[in-house]
Order: sequence, then structure tokens, then C-alpha cells
Amino acid sequence: MPSVEFQGKNFDIDEDGFLQRFEDWCPEWVDYVKDSEGIKDLTDEHNKVIEFLQDYYKKNGIAPMVRILSKVTGYKLKHIYELFPSGPGKGACKMAGLPKPTGCV
Amino acid sequence: MAFVSSGYNPDKPMSDRISDIGPRNYEEFLPPVIKKNFGKWLYHEIIEPGVLMHKAESGDEVYTVRAGTARLVTTSYIREACAIAKEYCGGHLRWTTRNNVEFMVESLEDAKKLKETLNAKTFPGGSHMFPVGGTGASISNIVHTQGWVHCHTPATDASGTVKVIMDELFEEFTSMKMPAILRIAVACCLNMCGACHCSDLAVVGYHRKPPMVDNAYLDNLCEIPLAIASCPTGALKPSKMELPDGKTVKTIAVNNDRCMYCGNCYTMCPSLPLADQEGDGIVLMVGGKVSNRISNPKFSKVAVAFIPNEPPRWPTLAKVTRKIVETYAAEAKKYERLGDWAERIGWERFFEKCELEFTHHLIDDFRDPAYFTWRQTTNFKF
Ligand code: HEM
Ligand code: HEM
Ligand code: SF4
Ligand code: SF4
Repeated sequence: MPSVEFQGKNFDIDEDGFLQRFEDWCPEWVDYVKDSEGIKDLTDEHNKVIEFLQDYYKKNGIAPMVRILSKVTGYKLKHIYELFPSGPGKGACKMAGLPKPTGCV
Repeated sequence: MAFVSSGYNPDKPMSDRISDIGPRNYEEFLPPVIKKNFGKWLYHEIIEPGVLMHKAESGDEVYTVRAGTARLVTTSYIREACAIAKEYCGGHLRWTTRNNVEFMVESLEDAKKLKETLNAKTFPGGSHMFPVGGTGASISNIVHTQGWVHCHTPATDASGTVKVIMDELFEEFTSMKMPAILRIAVACCLNMCGACHCSDLAVVGYHRKPPMVDNAYLDNLCEIPLAIASCPTGALKPSKMELPDGKTVKTIAVNNDRCMYCGNCYTMCPSLPLADQEGDGIVLMVGGKVSNRISNPKFSKVAVAFIPNEPPRWPTLAKVTRKIVETYAAEAKKYERLGDWAERIGWERFFEKCELEFTHHLIDDFRDPAYFTWRQTTNFKF
């Protein structure tokens, strides 16, 4: 299993750059991932999406459906793509430390 | 080779980014005779296997030569097709919905020359590159999937089984002697990407063992409620378990008595793999169709519960397939699709004539609708 070191922290990741364990998430992780996800500066809006994804995952054990993410944060899908160019799955969920989306993606 | 940039700037990924332009408009690629007579076709004829003629109101004719392809092809193969199109068809060609390739010319003479050229092209191993056929009451190309070439959920291979069946039935691709079209499809798992559920004959990859559970990783890699909800028979439930190192983890318990090995849970959760060399194999289905010609569209029905995987030549699969095709060809009436034939003579006769064993696996037991597949009549033949 590959692992990366960033600002003194160690992260086990898979070949797509998703965290192997949700517990390993820390703010440094977001800093580390943002470049590869095409994000220059993290804004409050980014953090709002990340926080909601984490809360939802802790409560429900799954990532929210896109329509729930939009409804709760108030961000239309278009705006979520403006924040996370790779989209809510590959971009936002990866930064939030959630497991990799599965199914016929 | 060392890195060669396309001009994309990874530091500014969104600058000069082109998106949402969609596919090219098909009109850009129409041969002139097609463009001119678009929407004004009078009638068509099948001149001979693999060669069609369309007559337009203007009197124009276009001759189409259809050739088989392997679907999974290299860029060199595509270039070869382009070279042929350039020589004969002004650089135009098209691919069909069954992944055959069609070359269009404007005279019968050119079509015949083209057919000869195409049939003469072979690979170093001896196989035809562009065998001409697939028209009329024949067995055209096999609609198929990824298999061991690229997917992670298959129970069999696609390209391999397809090559085996097409070799076995090649004669039927290049002639038109069937009672009606006989569509074959292959899907390497029950996801059935493609057309297996609605084809005259279908090969479907099938597991026979429940998933293994990777308890140590499951909660890290999977959204447990998704895996639970993915099971059509309710065979899964959330559970907790103590690992050998004393750590308690959340995981999933599989009730093997309820599992019928569909593999849906693995699709949702990487920690529930189930592929197995001896367990996995093939289910054969028959009698589906999508057209509404005479009878309504039909689903295909399971006819053979299990054929083992026998790479690279799958001899049992080849034998059973040939037997079904030959029996249908000999017995069915003109225009009767395989499903029409089986329903007319009765499924008990279908099994008898095709010498297929009828096992309890073939009797539907999935929820309320299973009842409607049993026989609520005394109408049957001994
Ligand atoms: C205690 C005695 C009997 C019981 C409990 C009984 C029960 C039944 C039941 C449950 C059915 C099926 C109905 C359905 O289609 O859902 C049936 C059908 C039938 N029974 Fe009886 N039966 C009895 C005696 C008899 C006798 C004595 C005869 C003839 C002399 C008879 C002749 C028939 C026939 C011909 C049918 C077929 C009807 C059809 O085609 O649906 N039954 N019976
Ligand atoms: C020469 C003698 C008989 C003839 C020609 C005859 C003819 C028929 C015919 C044409 C039907 C209708 C079948 C259909 O629904 O298409 C019928 C039904 C029936 N017959 Fe007879 N029958 C004869 C004797 C008997 C006897 C002796 C019994 C009983 C002891 C009997 C019991 C029944 C019953 C219960 C049905 C209803 C079956 C059903 O539709 O579920 N029949 N018969
Ligand atoms: S049929 Fe199943 S195994 Fe084959 S390509 Fe589709 S999902 Fe993958
Ligand atoms: S393989 Fe299918 S039936 Fe078996 S547990 Fe998984 S989802 Fe349920």
C-alpha cells in the first residue's frame, strides 16, 4: 500500500489517492490533496462542503446523494464543480477523507 | 518515452479548458450519396450475404458491404479500415449497432470488388480481418462486454467466449439460412451490460460461491449501508467483529443460505470479492428479442444452468451453442425467432429437441413474480 508524507504526517492511500482510513483524516490532508484536485485556495465554501460530507458520513455510514449535498449546503451542482473541479465524488469526498465511490462510476 | 506535454498546464487546470462540446455532428461524416438522399429512400434489397442496396427517390443507389470486427481492436486495425475506406469509399465508413463495419459504394461492381478485397485480408494467424456477412437471416456479430480484459466483476471472459462462438458459427455469419435473425450476446456478469436479457441466445458469466469478507478493511473501504442495500435477497447484515489483534471493527455478515452469488455487494464494496476459478462459469439463456415484429419483445430465459469456464476454447460452450442453433435452424418456421419457436412448440419440447437437461435451477424462485412462470394449466406434452 503506498503512503505519502506531508507536513510531518503520514497517509496510507490507494492508487487513486483516496485515504485508506477515514480516521487518518486531518486538515493537512486537505492541504496535501488540493493541488492534485485543481484547487488553489481553500475557501469557507470548500470547508462547508467537506464538513457536511464528514458529518453525514459519521452519522449515516455513507456519502450523501448529490441532491442531498446540494440541498443542505445550498450549492447547486454547478457551484460544487466550481469549488471542486473533479466533482463531488473524486474531488470533495477525497478531500473529506471518505472512502472511494463504488459502483459503475 | 519521456514526458511530452499536450499544452495542458497542470498549474492552471481550468485555463483554456474546453468542455461540453458534445460529439461531432454525424452530418460531417456522411458520404455524399447518403447526404444527398437523406430521408428519401424508396426500398432496399439484400444482394447477397453482407451486401445491401438502397434505392433513393432520385434513382441513386448505394451499396453497403458489411464486415465483422472483433470490437476490441487496435489503432492499426482502425487504420487498416480507414485505408480501405480511402481506396474504395472516398474516405467514408460507419460502424453498426452490433460493432460490424460498413463500407458504402455507389455501384454493384465496386461492392463486389470491395467484398473480395475484404474477404482476402487476414491476420498472420489466419483469421479474417474483415469477413463479409451479417445481413438477413444470419448470425451477425455478438454484442459483448469487457471480461478479463478490463472489468473487475466478471465471472467469465468476453472476447474469448465470443471468438469461440463466432468460429463455431462462422458459416452462419457469411450465409442467410436461418429461419430468422439469431442474435447472440455475451455478458461476463449478471450486470448484463449489453443485450443478454433480450437476445435469441445469451452467454452470461455466473458465480456459484458467496463473497469472502475482508473484515480488517471493510469498514475503511466500504460504505456499509450501501453494501447491505445492494443485496436483492437480504443476505447481508451489519455486524461487529473482533479481529485477531483484539481490535473490534464494523463489518458485514453474509447469510450464505440466502446468497445467490450475484456479486452486487462486491460492486459496491471492494472487501467482498467472490470470483472463483472452479465456481465461476456460464449460464446460457435463450428466446429473447427486442423487435415487435409479430410477437412482442421478450426476455431471454435461462436454458442451461451452468457451463464451466474452459479457457481458451470453451469446448462445452461451443458444443451446446451449436446444438441449440442447429436444432432451431432445422425445426423453426420461416420468420420465427428462437423465442417464437420455443413458445409455439412449448418449452418442454424445446428442452427435448435441444437435448438440454432441465434442472431445478431453471425454475424461477425470485419473489412473487416467480409464480407466473410456473404452469397454471394442464396443457402440456408428455
Ligand atoms: C374435501 C375435498 C376436496 C377439496 C378440499 C378440494 C379442493 C380443491 C381445490 C383447492 C382445488 C383448486 C381450486 C383452484 O383452482 O384454485 C380443487 C379443484 C378441483 N377439484 Fe376439488 N376438492 C375436493 C374434492 C373434490 C372432488 C370429490 C372432486 C370430483 C369428484 C373434485 C374435483 C375437482 C376438480 C375437477 C378441480 C379442478 C377445477 C379447476 O380446473 O380449477 N374435488 N379442488
Ligand atoms: C364423454 C364424456 C365427456 C366429455 C365429452 C366431456 C367434455 C368436456 C369438455 C369439452 C369440457 C370443457 C373443457 C374446457 O374447458 O375446454 C369439460 C370440462 C370438464 N369436465 Fe368433462 N366431459 C366428459 C365427461 C366428464 C365426466 C364424467 C366428468 C366428471 C366425473 C367431467 C368433469 C369435467 C370437469 C370438472 C370439467 C371442468 C374442467 C375445467 O375446466 O377445469 N367430464 N368436459
Ligand atoms: S457484464 Fe459485468 S463483468 Fe462484464 S463488463 Fe459489464 S459489469 Fe463488467
Ligand atoms: S452476492 Fe448478491 S446475493 Fe450474495 S450477498 Fe452479495 S448481493 Fe447478496
